[in-house]
Amino acid sequence: MNNQNSSTPGSTLPKGILEIRNLKKHFEVSKGSFLHAVDGITLSIGKNEVVGLVGESGCGKSTLGRTLVGLYDKSSGEVVYQGEKLPSRYASSDFKKYSREIQMIFQDPYSSLNPRMTVREIIAEGPMIHKLWKSDEVNEKVGFWLKRVGLSADHMSRYAHEFSGGQRQRIGIARALALEPKVIICDEPISALDVSVQAQVVNLLGELKRTMGLTLLFIAHDLSMVRYVSDRMAVMYLGSMVEVGPANEVYFRPLHPYTQSLIASNPEPDPEKERSRTHTVLKGEIPSPINLKPGCRFAGRCPKAMTVCQSVDPVFREVKPGHSTACHLYA
Amino acid sequence: MSQTFSGDSGVAEAVKSSDLHPGTGAAFNADDFEPAVRINRFQGLSRPSLSYWSDAWMRPKKNRKATVSLAMVVFLALFTLVGPFLWRIDPSAQDMARISEGPTFAKTAVVIDEAASWTAPELSGIPAAPTASAENLLAPATLEADGVPSSQAVRLKWAPVTGASAYAVYRSETKPSGKVGTSELGVPIGEVDAGNKVGYEDTFNLERSEYFYSIVPKNGEEASKFTTLRVVLPSTIALSAAQALKSDIKVGETLHLSAHPFGTDYLGRDLLSRLMSGARVSLFIGFFAPLVMIFLGIVIGGAAGYTGGRTDNLLMAFADFVLALPFLLFMILFKIAFGVGAGESGIFPMLVAMVILSWPSSARLVRGQILQLRESEFVMASKLLGARPIYLLFRHLLPNTMGVILVSLTFAIPSAIFTEAFLSFIGMGVAPPTPSWGSMCNDGIQTFLTHPHEFLFPAIFISITVLSFNLLGDGLRDALDPRMRSTS
Ligand SMILES: Nc1ncnc2c1ncn2[C@@H]1O[C@H](COP(=O)(O)OP(=O)(O)OP(=O)(O)O)[C@@H](O)[C@H]1O
Ligand SMILES: [Mg+2]
Repeated sequence: MNNQNSSTPGSTLPKGILEIRNLKKHFEVSKGSFLHAVDGITLSIGKNEVVGLVGESGCGKSTLGRTLVGLYDKSSGEVVYQGEKLPSRYASSDFKKYSREIQMIFQDPYSSLNPRMTVREIIAEGPMIHKLWKSDEVNEKVGFWLKRVGLSADHMSRYAHEFSGGQRQRIGIARALALEPKVIICDEPISALDVSVQAQVVNLLGELKRTMGLTLLFIAHDLSMVRYVSDRMAVMYLGSMVEVGPANEVYFRPLHPYTQSLIASNPEPDPEKERSRTHTVLKGEIPSPINLKPGCRFAGRCPKAMTVCQSVDPVFREVKPGHSTACHLYA
Repeated sequence: MSQTFSGDSGVAEAVKSSDLHPGTGAAFNADDFEPAVRINRFQGLSRPSLSYWSDAWMRPKKNRKATVSLAMVVFLALFTLVGPFLWRIDPSAQDMARISEGPTFAKTAVVIDEAASWTAPELSGIPAAPTASAENLLAPATLEADGVPSSQAVRLKWAPVTGASAYAVYRSETKPSGKVGTSELGVPIGEVDAGNKVGYEDTFNLERSEYFYSIVPKNGEEASKFTTLRVVLPSTIALSAAQALKSDIKVGETLHLSAHPFGTDYLGRDLLSRLMSGARVSLFIGFFAPLVMIFLGIVIGGAAGYTGGRTDNLLMAFADFVLALPFLLFMILFKIAFGVGAGESGIFPMLVAMVILSWPSSARLVRGQILQLRESEFVMASKLLGARPIYLLFRHLLPNTMGVILVSLTFAIPSAIFTEAFLSFIGMGVAPPTPSWGSMCNDGIQTFLTHPHEFLFPAIFISITVLSFNLLGDGLRDALDPRMRSTS
């Protein structure tokens, strides 16, 4: 099985800048019992590509992001960055080594900024650790990045709590950008924000991607927003990847029944159509990610479940060019 | 979602113009969203930014309680450090003539010659044993004090009564009404057994400042008439003692004595100067023990919280063990271990015992806080930026535990002052003659009913100190917490 290549659509994109191979992250919740937060994810992210990652709350999106950047030790599997295998357990020197390559924007704009630091200190933290900026140019550089993310340079001596959620999220973005990394993991950078601010942040990320040549893993809840920002879309369910493909393909012609129901539950912007639409709500409980049984994880809730789904793990395979899924329907 | 917006808002237009309907398959680009971008709108509200410390300084100034308590703490510091230079009375100097004296400010004393002897005047023209019957005897025409009356000697002199063969002398603490006869005149303190001897010296050691002396003439039986004199005892000082203070003083002169604004104790020592030097001991322990304790707490709690795992378990088990040790028992053991005898001052063993037995509470606080902060996203972010563990600890973790540490210190200072007072009170801490507020309370409690000031003053000082440190800590915590920064 050669999944890491199968998920790259066609041959137009270069070989992935970030290759995730069968990555697992298990939390030991009590002695001998493990929570399978990320359970065998394989994904390849091409250079200057935006991959959107969607999935229900608790399916392991943040855990995947944090494991990718080394904040969590990898239980198994590997991550290859530009042909170099990242350590499965980061030492503090590894963080320093890769901090100018891969950065992360955190989900919670409130807890991700130190309340005792001014905006200047927050944004200058990375470059100062790496001694990239001289102390007399800090103000100028911080001002530059603040303007870049749509804030004013006058804000730099304020504390994080003096800002709104959207402004804080921008500060978090500026902090990640100040090191000028090549890959940014955006962990739901917009879900804490209201719609108009979401649009601002998404536009900002899009613009930064174009001008700085960034590669983004964009984690979000909002399917239409993910489709709008990303080149490819990946769908996660209970720690495993169920579908990966070009964003519009996945959005308009979803293969996996889970993706289908996820997209069907997404409200339509046209009120006429939205009212006349029949809503299919997923039945059944999400199984516990602790001590999973064999078989397809979605089988219990799947409207198209077959007997084979109860006992055999589906294989993640390319069904259409660049469009892969893990489902027995396409076996 | 677009139907909830009113038509004229920029947001609604943005959504309307960019059709999000999945069926159309239209590709969006960033321009479709542009009308919604109104970044500068909500940045109009701003105030000049303040640095961390200048803001921290601004806030307690607004908080009346904190300001008052800060003033109190400054006052206490001055009282302890500068006070002894202004109030230069030796705290251990005893003055047995002035024991347990209440607060006095400008006290004067008349110099008397206690060595001089006195004999009652004897009149020559009058028969020593006349024969008038007791009913016909008159009261003495005059009655006066001879010289300056003092607590050592009151000398009375009266006019002779014709026909009297003797005089009885009474002393009372209340003024006789003169209606009920001699029964209300008080204690019969003496008798003069000749009619021409018209003087009497009361050398009983007097305590009150006012007495009523009555003279009843006698001839076999007491007469029913008498004369009463009110004697006010001024404070006096013996010539020898006065000469020690001022060499050229003479008998009969007034001498200005040193004031004792807070009174004196049972050994005649000045309470104010004792409070000052007691404050030195009390505040030294009250500051030193908590500071060392918090420092230990930060080091041990920080290490446990930051490393986690096995180290954490071990350190916290040890902390639980220490927390379970009985404090008083260990106090006694430490005194013995340091070779401190029963009556000796054991300040150092007391400090050691307090620090060793009290660090676990602050260590647990710090550890809990660090453990929680270690998982927070801003620490993760800093780690991702390449921060080393030491940097994380000093830049992110410890500054954010500052609040907890301050609260801990807030409670530790008054509690250490209290512990010291308590230990000294029960005789386990600072022993005489070294004064501390606790041992002064211990001394004072014995005479509390008769001379309450000896107990009240040190007790009030303890209470005020404890209260002002508590309030100050409160204000400080508010001031250093950026989340409480005022937005006005
Ligand atoms: N440190 C941890 N220890 C134990 N379990 C964890 C830990 N972090 C996350 N989990 C569990 O792992 C699962 C995935 O969590 P994760 O935060 O990755 O979800 P998510 O997809 O990001 O959800 P959301 O959309 O709500 O942010 C959850 O069941 C969660 O309870
Ligand atoms: Mg998450």
